[in-house]
Amino acid sequence: MPDILVRYQSEIWQSIAETFIMVGVSILAAILVGLPLGTWLYLSRKGQLLENQIVFSVLNLVVNIVRSFPFLLLVVFLIPFTRLIIGTAIGTAAATVPLSIIAIAHYARLVEQSLIDVPRGVIEAALSMGASVKDIIFKFLYVEARSGLVLGLTTSIISFISYSTIMGVVGGGGIGDFAIRYGYQQFQTELMLYMILIMLVFVQLIQFTGTTVARIIDKR
Amino acid sequence: MITLSSVHKRYGQEMAVRDVSLHIRKGEIYGIIGASGAGKSTLLRLMNLLEKPDAGSVTVDGDQLTELSNRELRKKRHRIGMIFQQFNLVANKTVFDNVLDSLKLAKRPKASWETRVMECLRFVGLEVYRDKYPSQLSGGQKQRVAIARALASEPSVLLCDEPTSSLDPNTTAEVLRVLQSVNEKLGVTVVLVTHEMDVIRQICHRVTVMADGTVHETIEREPTGVVAIDQNPSWFVEQLREEGESNA
Repeated sequence: MPDILVRYQSEIWQSIAETFIMVGVSILAAILVGLPLGTWLYLSRKGQLLENQIVFSVLNLVVNIVRSFPFLLLVVFLIPFTRLIIGTAIGTAAATVPLSIIAIAHYARLVEQSLIDVPRGVIEAALSMGASVKDIIFKFLYVEARSGLVLGLTTSIISFISYSTIMGVVGGGGIGDFAIRYGYQQFQTELMLYMILIMLVFVQLIQFTGTTVARIIDKR
Repeated sequence: MITLSSVHKRYGQEMAVRDVSLHIRKGEIYGIIGASGAGKSTLLRLMNLLEKPDAGSVTVDGDQLTELSNRELRKKRHRIGMIFQQFNLVANKTVFDNVLDSLKLAKRPKASWETRVMECLRFVGLEVYRDKYPSQLSGGQKQRVAIARALASEPSVLLCDEPTSSLDPNTTAEVLRVLQSVNEKLGVTVVLVTHEMDVIRQICHRVTVMADGTVHETIEREPTGVVAIDQNPSWFVEQLREEGESNA
């Protein structure tokens, strides 16, 4: 192993752990909140089961606003909110707040797009068999859209990794922050390159896993 | 079995179905034919309330559908099967699981699932395909799975929306045979919407001709296969008669 990596071993592991925490919480937020939100966004669209112009417009606007913020400004903008929930706006835990917010909005949009691809006829058939809205969501929509949902999550996770790299501004740490502080700012270009390489491996692994899973579960 | 009284349905400005009254008898195969845009699919969807009428009443097997609560309507729909032109199977589920959906939704006891699904698959002649996915089947096979799925919850009526319109002549015949045995062996009332004269001629006992959202006329078939015609035969009826004669 290159000397420089050995020298910074503990800091590197530390930063990888921080990235895992930040991205992990983002994934949880995306699944627990983004998935239902995206489903609701889809269902409230014109012509869908819970069609509601007002609900759709509001959800759509919120998702758009969050996604159109330059992420760095979103982090700053959310500082009071973060302080309210976590008690501080600094550190890895605090960093998960803005990351979760963008994660929810990001994945919600991709969920909505995947659900749009479910053929209208399948929903009609479900209705004709006496399915409730809940039945339709869990027994039909999610089953039929599952590979799109997985691919969407894959894309989202990779974005979360990218977003997490700038969390250094609020002391969130992570691989990106380490690369900037130790690599870029201390002129240790080699170290920076190794960090980029680590990120690249992560992204490749995630994309490969996502694509493979999506292909296996797609029987269409 | 099914009675529509003065049913109206509009989409925006356009009247899809206007003032239609008709009665479908228990145990018959009832055809609804008309050009595209005549309102026949809408009419069929009024019979399980996939479309809500703007006026008039829809009664199926003694229940006036518009009077039912949402929960009651869902329950009622287990007794009204439906199949579609595009089959509308869940592509990510096996043949077995597609049919099983119908039993799950009807809240049938778990112990009966395996037997009932296989019974329905056997009826349509597809029991060996139980673990295949819809994409591995031909169009005719897909439609037979859809029929099995619709039958699983033991409906008294089967609504068929252009069931053969995306099939070739051979598979059309195969699907029509299955529909016929659904009617004869299981005593299920079949309502069949189509634009194909051939389909009507092969299996329907009575036919309603629709044009511009209204019932043009209703015709009884004679045992000879030639349709009895009143005065003022419409274009469809004439065509039916011509085809009947040329086939005789």
